Amino acid sequence: MLASIGCGDSSTDEPSATPSNNPSSNGVADTGVSTTPDTSEPDTGTTVAEYPASYTPGPTAMRRLTGPQFENSVRDILGDGIVIPELAEPDLPIGGLLSVGASVSTLGARGVESLESAAYAVAEQAMDTPERRTTLVSCTPADTVDSGCAEQFVAEFGRMAWRRALTNEERAQVVSIADQAAEQLNDFYDGLEFAVAALLQSPNFLFRIELGTLDPNTDTRTFTDLELASRLSFFLWNTTPDAELLNAAEAGELSTDEGLRAQAERLLASPRARLAMRNFFSEYLQLYELEHLFKDPMLFEHYNSELGADAREETLSLMEHIVFDTESDYRDVMTTRETFLNPRLAALYGVPAPTREGFGLARLPASEGRAGLLGHASLLSIHSHPVASSATLRGVAVRTILLCQDIPGAPVGVDTSIPEPSGDTLTLRDRVAEHLTNPDCAGCHLLTDPIGLGLENFDGIGRWRDTDNGATIDASGELDREEFNDPVELGRVIRNHRDFAPCLVKTMTRYAIGRIESEDEEDVLDVLAERFEVKHAFRVQPLLLEIVTSPMFRAGGALN
Amino acid sequence: MSSRKYTLSRRTFLRGVLGGTAISLGLPPLEAFFNANGTAYAVDGAFPKRFGLFFWGNGMLPDRWVPAATGPDWEATEQLAPLANLRSEITLLTGMEVKTGNPVPHGSGPPGLLTGDGPVDRNGSFGESTFPGPTIDQIMAGEIGGDTRFRSLEIGVEQGTTGLSHNGPDSINPAETNPTALFERLFGADFRAPGEEPIIDPKLSLRRSVLDAVMEDSNRLNQRLGASDRIRLEQHFSAVRDLELRIARLEEDPPNLAACIRPDAPPTELPDINGRPPMRERSRLMTDLVTMAMACDMTRVLSFWFTRPVSNVLFPTANAGHHQLTHDEPGDQPQVNQIVISIMEDLAYFLESLRSIPEGDATLLDNSIILATSDVSYARTHQINEYPLLLAGSGCGTLRKGFHYRSTTQENTSLLSFSLLRAMDVRVSEFGTGPGHVTQGLSAIEP
Repeated sequence: MLASIGCGDSSTDEPSATPSNNPSSNGVADTGVSTTPDTSEPDTGTTVAEYPASYTPGPTAMRRLTGPQFENSVRDILGDGIVIPELAEPDLPIGGLLSVGASVSTLGARGVESLESAAYAVAEQAMDTPERRTTLVSCTPADTVDSGCAEQFVAEFGRMAWRRALTNEERAQVVSIADQAAEQLNDFYDGLEFAVAALLQSPNFLFRIELGTLDPNTDTRTFTDLELASRLSFFLWNTTPDAELLNAAEAGELSTDEGLRAQAERLLASPRARLAMRNFFSEYLQLYELEHLFKDPMLFEHYNSELGADAREETLSLMEHIVFDTESDYRDVMTTRETFLNPRLAALYGVPAPTREGFGLARLPASEGRAGLLGHASLLSIHSHPVASSATLRGVAVRTILLCQDIPGAPVGVDTSIPEPSGDTLTLRDRVAEHLTNPDCAGCHLLTDPIGLGLENFDGIGRWRDTDNGATIDASGELDREEFNDPVELGRVIRNHRDFAPCLVKTMTRYAIGRIESEDEEDVLDVLAERFEVKHAFRVQPLLLEIVTSPMFRAGGALN
Repeated sequence: MSSRKYTLSRRTFLRGVLGGTAISLGLPPLEAFFNANGTAYAVDGAFPKRFGLFFWGNGMLPDRWVPAATGPDWEATEQLAPLANLRSEITLLTGMEVKTGNPVPHGSGPPGLLTGDGPVDRNGSFGESTFPGPTIDQIMAGEIGGDTRFRSLEIGVEQGTTGLSHNGPDSINPAETNPTALFERLFGADFRAPGEEPIIDPKLSLRRSVLDAVMEDSNRLNQRLGASDRIRLEQHFSAVRDLELRIARLEEDPPNLAACIRPDAPPTELPDINGRPPMRERSRLMTDLVTMAMACDMTRVLSFWFTRPVSNVLFPTANAGHHQLTHDEPGDQPQVNQIVISIMEDLAYFLESLRSIPEGDATLLDNSIILATSDVSYARTHQINEYPLLLAGSGCGTLRKGFHYRSTTQENTSLLSFSLLRAMDVRVSEFGTGPGHVTQGLSAIEP
């Protein structure tokens, strides 16, 4: 179980989180990631943890396509080069994850309006050249109105759009629209445009329906092969299932673990999996906050309007690298000296750029105080103010995002101001002293501020500084009774924290199944976390395979 | 019927006040707006009632907001000074309180006021909460939105936010914050000014057939889902049906309102100003567009989301983000004060803009009810008593206006929402739940 930290008298309420004594953590050398790309399973001789025999799963909800999923799906079923307008319906996070928010969201008036116009915009492009027509339409119409050919198109294209074969009734309805349009507009392909528009506006496209087959004895719904195909594809590729996956589903191959694994491995081997993993980390690390980053350019000389996009690219590139290139211990993301920089970021960090333009792999020198994710401009600037750094925001981010711990919000009525720098209260550490001594504040702030104060060498946009208002920064502190003297050591403490790797497992599973786990399902997550550590040495790709073959992926509970 | 068409640009005569402080237009009505009798055109002689919500984040400073005098002779305080010329149009309500609890700082006032219930607090670490039900603008849109091209309009100024207007939990009507996109949507290909031919396009009826099919898909699917998912699907269904009705409307004659003309397109680029977001410039462009949209009767329900709760926008006069200043600026917070004044200047521009549109013997502002409000009063301590509530317009005389009413008993803000719903012809007999529940309106503003 992950530690849930509450506020209370800090002197008696010691958090019990300690770094895990797991067999495969071997301490991290300053040289960074241990690179042993090795796909075989380490044989530790220990028994692999088993899933609980029975448990009560959480509710099964229909899942709306997120913005990126909408765009990817339309592109994949209509072809590259189609310009796809954006849906005017926000993706909203739950637990920080847009994919979980997708299980409670719908489409409002504005969203429906924008979907209609997007559907016609892409339908028109899809039918506007002979090349596109022959790609999408496998028959040649005999006449302006050709119901037979229209039906063939609707059946084939509809199956790809709705991720399942249409019923006779559904097909007939769309064909009649195509025929009606072809007649009124006097063009067969104009008719098909309306068929495409109808299929893309349908809730059968917009929502992923996961109903499964109900076992009344256990009140558990086991997802059908076709539902699993969608789950797999949206998790590992962030898009609609391709033809091969649908075929495998229709042939019943996904019912067995072997069949499911085989498809999962096929998906993971594709470049699309990299983009999908980027999407996961973008949600997990809440990098969507970078889209509207605003910093005062008068205070931050190195700030420019590209910072948000650059910072996002750095972090996602590193994640992709660890998952797919080095295929190494995920925890090393907290300590690695490797990162991905373009010239602008390199200038911000004060290190040589690895390439003259664009992004390249960089190795930060051991003399630098910057290593791992905590040294990334992304997290450092998101969890800061437009005009300054923030120990509290950064501390909260470490606890809630990286360690999956709960930190209650600030009480409503308190005065939270801190004094301006003056006299001998110059650094942020001096100025937040009140947070850490006032009993109304200390219960929570002692959990967060010491962490953030350990990052004070990074200003509000992630640039290194040795002093703040002229005073030397003291970056020492303690996190759950492990001490650190600087951000590199803080990174190591987090890497080895017992909640760090399980937090990835929990978040990744929530993302995959689109909801928060039930209380019973926490036991399933514990098993996954143990396998991640003991069986797979914290490598992410095997974790992905464990997740998709786990009972939480294959089945759900009562309908939402 | 054709009318003389002048290619007027409202911005031509309003340009002079950009960047000004107190705004005083006082222009004579322009000739183009009148028919031969000298009174402006109307739809069947009666102008429709409109409702608008103007929302800004992070409240105000009560000691510089609340006027000393009550009644019609109140004098504008420092923060209300930009609205001094609109005093006769304004009803200022002070001393009222949101009663539904304050579990989520900045996130409790808006649902309390606009839905009559507290927020759905997800109790997670990320401060996520949502509204428990539809906001009053959407309740009104449900009643009156069927008669206009758009059921409601939501616009905003701060970038990268969602919106205030809710259809229900987790269902927000996103605010459009790009003036060019708004212009395209309102005055692009589907726009017809009064006197112009309606759109004749065979595709309109085909589009409606498609939406019929989508609704049938939805009905088939609905039967197989659980209760919560059915609600979600039904919201989608309503939105689809609503769209179908609007497409049908495109085939009708446009509403015959004389003040309606196609405005100029706004500039496509709005650069930052000294590294700060161009809040005023964007706000005024959006104001011009939605004023004309309402003058054209494209919608009767508007939500204007200037900044969001907890907004940390860097205003031109400030050296830190707005939200940070509300907590960290010491003493009487002069920078926070200046930000509130600045926002009130943009509110004044919006209200003057509505007042500049003649409708019969009255103005668009007279025929509207605008509620300007925020998420808190004193932001430093997240207070939801002494709530900022500023009404403008009288909704064609359905509400009293032109005075300062101070509640000495911390009356429930739900009373106001009840009155507003009734004023907009939503025949409610109650509003809100629990401590937010009321069965009557605010008598001070009801005639």
